[in-house]
Amino acid sequence: MFERKLKALDYIDWDKVNGNDVQHFRKLVTWLEDQKIRHYRIEDRKELRDINSENWPQTFAKYCSDVACPITTCPLDQLEWLLGFAIRLEFEDDHKNYQQATGNKAKNKQEAAVPCVKSSNPLDNLDFESNDFKNGVNVIAKILQVPQHPNHLITLEACSKIVCKRLNPSALENPNSVIVKGKAFPILEADLGFDMGDKVLNTAAKILRLLYIHDIRDLQTKINEAIVSVQNITANPKTDTKLGKVGI
Amino acid sequence: MEELTDEDFAIPPVKYEYLDHTADVQLHAWGDSLEEAFEQCAIAMFGYMTDLERVDMLQVHEIEAEGHDLQSLLFHFLDELLFMFCAEPFIVARKVKIKEFDRENYRIKAIAVGEEFSIGKHSQGAEVKAITYSAMQILDKPEVDRPEVFVIVDI
Amino acid sequence: MYVSTKGVKKKKMVVRQYQEELKYLEKINNYCWRIKKGFQPNMNVEGIFYVNNTLEKLMLEELRNACKPGGIGGFLPGVKQIANVAALPGIVGKSVGLPDVHSGYGFAIGNMAAFDMNNPKSIVSPGGVGFDINCGVRLLRTNLFEKDVAPVKEQLAQSMFDHIPVGVGSKGIIPMTARDLEEALEMGMDWSLREGYVWAEDKEHCEEYGRMLNADPSKVSMRAKKRGLPQLGTLGAGNHYAEIQIVDEIYNKWAASKMGIEEKGQVCVMIHSGSRGFGHQVATDALVQMEKAMKRDNIETNDRQLACAHINSREGQDYLKSMAAAANFAWVNRSSMTFLSRQAFAKQFHMSPDDLDMHVIYDVSHNIAKIEEHIVDGKQKTLLVHRKGSTRAFPPHHPLIPVDYQLTGQPVLIGGTMGTCSYVLTGTEQGMQETFGSTCHGAGRALSRAKSRRNLDYKEVLDKLEELGISIRVASPKLVMEEAPESYKNVTDVVNTCHAAGISHKCIKLRPIAVIKG
Repeated sequence: MFERKLKALDYIDWDKVNGNDVQHFRKLVTWLEDQKIRHYRIEDRKELRDINSENWPQTFAKYCSDVACPITTCPLDQLEWLLGFAIRLEFEDDHKNYQQATGNKAKNKQEAAVPCVKSSNPLDNLDFESNDFKNGVNVIAKILQVPQHPNHLITLEACSKIVCKRLNPSALENPNSVIVKGKAFPILEADLGFDMGDKVLNTAAKILRLLYIHDIRDLQTKINEAIVSVQNITANPKTDTKLGKVGI
Repeated sequence: MEELTDEDFAIPPVKYEYLDHTADVQLHAWGDSLEEAFEQCAIAMFGYMTDLERVDMLQVHEIEAEGHDLQSLLFHFLDELLFMFCAEPFIVARKVKIKEFDRENYRIKAIAVGEEFSIGKHSQGAEVKAITYSAMQILDKPEVDRPEVFVIVDI
Repeated sequence: MYVSTKGVKKKKMVVRQYQEELKYLEKINNYCWRIKKGFQPNMNVEGIFYVNNTLEKLMLEELRNACKPGGIGGFLPGVKQIANVAALPGIVGKSVGLPDVHSGYGFAIGNMAAFDMNNPKSIVSPGGVGFDINCGVRLLRTNLFEKDVAPVKEQLAQSMFDHIPVGVGSKGIIPMTARDLEEALEMGMDWSLREGYVWAEDKEHCEEYGRMLNADPSKVSMRAKKRGLPQLGTLGAGNHYAEIQIVDEIYNKWAASKMGIEEKGQVCVMIHSGSRGFGHQVATDALVQMEKAMKRDNIETNDRQLACAHINSREGQDYLKSMAAAANFAWVNRSSMTFLSRQAFAKQFHMSPDDLDMHVIYDVSHNIAKIEEHIVDGKQKTLLVHRKGSTRAFPPHHPLIPVDYQLTGQPVLIGGTMGTCSYVLTGTEQGMQETFGSTCHGAGRALSRAKSRRNLDYKEVLDKLEELGISIRVASPKLVMEEAPESYKNVTDVVNTCHAAGISHKCIKLRPIAVIKG
């Protein structure tokens, strides 16, 4: 229990603590106050140190409120908070040192990690910047009729979207489900609603508009499908011509 | 309710007319007393909704109305009668008789004599949506010899 | 029976000679007039109205009549009402009169005004919405053509008449309990969807998706609910109708195509109805409440009919919540009649409504107040927009219009009058800037009802419709004079003015072949 935190605080029995054991619990709290938190003066710690006292729970409750522990319900949670509090105090005492250590350690770790991971996935071993790879992407783009972006990785992303959406097994089986229906609209003649002051930018903005409208249409269709599935359960339209006279 | 007399079923003479208004209709009613002008105004309203000749006096419905001045009393009096037509018991009145007219506390107790509106038997005229205060006028004795009221109803 | 105009009191307004009045009006261009401050007292903003030459004459004639000594029937001319609205607290931009404007209760009919939600003085006015809350128009398309319906036109008209309850005193044939009503008021078209009266796709083609979320049925009086319950699913009377229409002209083929209208001759169904007695009672109740609130909060208006309350007052909030419930009622009502119309067609043609492609093209509200975001003097503001006899007309790409119309702009359905054409317009960017994305709603009355009855004979009106090849089924034949085309402004004039002024564009023209009305 709390192994990482206890280890960080150099608690001797860091790997043996059981928070549900009353003795373990009380011993740890006393140690935290004596060694790390030091909220009370030494002479005032007497009651806390008396871990066999019947009144210890009340002493602990008072201690928690004295150190402003926000947790009031579960003693284990209170202990965990005290551990965190102790770590924070420890860090604040020597933060310059610790900060450096973190930075260096993290760096060392990364450097150390790369060579030791032997990926079995061949894709991870590809050189994404090699000309070979770039040419490959461009060939795929040509086949899929995707315009090439100066950054070949973006081109690849576009290719991936097409493959996932239009060339997945269910789409291939039933192409009509993905082919957009409807009539062409002369979007370039339509009013954009604002002027970017540049013809090319305006055209680009119109294309973005279309993509956005397409997304919203998808959303609206999904909403309609949800409504229909609810209607299947709730709908029961009735008319009763006895209620009123029509067609005299 | 006190016993109704034959007089309660006597069809009153017509003392109302419909005046010009662009979108709506102005009711103009008069009588020997203000009570009669009020009663006539109510009949004018029903007369715009259906042909009163076809309405038989089969049912009696009591209404009460209250206002804070004479105009609001007329407004609520007509609103009560419109409500009686538009919701249960759906009565169209051939005759309205004011039984009590309390001018100090602005209260009216009246009976409407008619029958439940029934498509087929009764003709369908215009629908009165609401009573309005628009250009409402109540002229009473002694200012005038013949009390009269003007009310615009929203069609 | 005789008609008189005597004994009618003049309303509070500045009394000036006609020529003096004209000094406050300025013609900006061929389609647009400005109403300057001072035309009525305390105007916070200017007024503006859109008219062409023909409509201009009607508008000024009304004003000239009001200037005559003795006055007319005790009501204010539309142009004065627009100016009185400009004097309401919290109004921003302009008080706008659309081409079909005519005198109404408080606000003119065909009047829109927006109030700043962040100004604590801003008001909400039931008179700015009207008695028929969320009165509106719905258009269904079919894949039928005129040649398919011509031989069975009479039967089809009868079938529609046999399915849809119409006229004063009619009751709905869709079973409803008081609990159903409560749910419908809260859920709007979602209720119709849940019960299976409409299709999922119908919802996306309605303003607000057919449901105002702030509806609170507990704010609605028992009286309104009692009036509403039996009337749900009824068309109503007056200018309400259901029509079978034929596409007569396509002005913008791309926009029409987005609406599923490909060719002239295609058959559509138009339903014009509102929230029935329910909405009327909600409006009546609110007006009574607001009279009191006005006294308490010292709100001064030029006209007693402009009863209103601060948006943030209890009365203001209660009205907005009950108005939303009435709006939901209207959507359920039009949805119920959509269901009945689909049944009528399905029975006549022995095909399912689905196979007849009877989709809702759009559903507009032309009597409503909504909270919307607009740009005022370069700043984005949250406004309470009142549209009374005015239709929302949002431009292409507006986030609140359905995805299918993102490129075309919102479809705007303009119902004609008995026997005349109807139109589908689309919203424009210019309208968004000039009129808070609003346009006309229909023809607008030109003759008073009484005058119509005097001048027109109902048999002649019916004969004329027959001559035009229009089948008619009407619950009150003697009242057709009041609704005859002659009683109204020419809807083509109205629509052309909106098009020329640029506040919305013509897309489709429809002509009726069968009319069902109250």
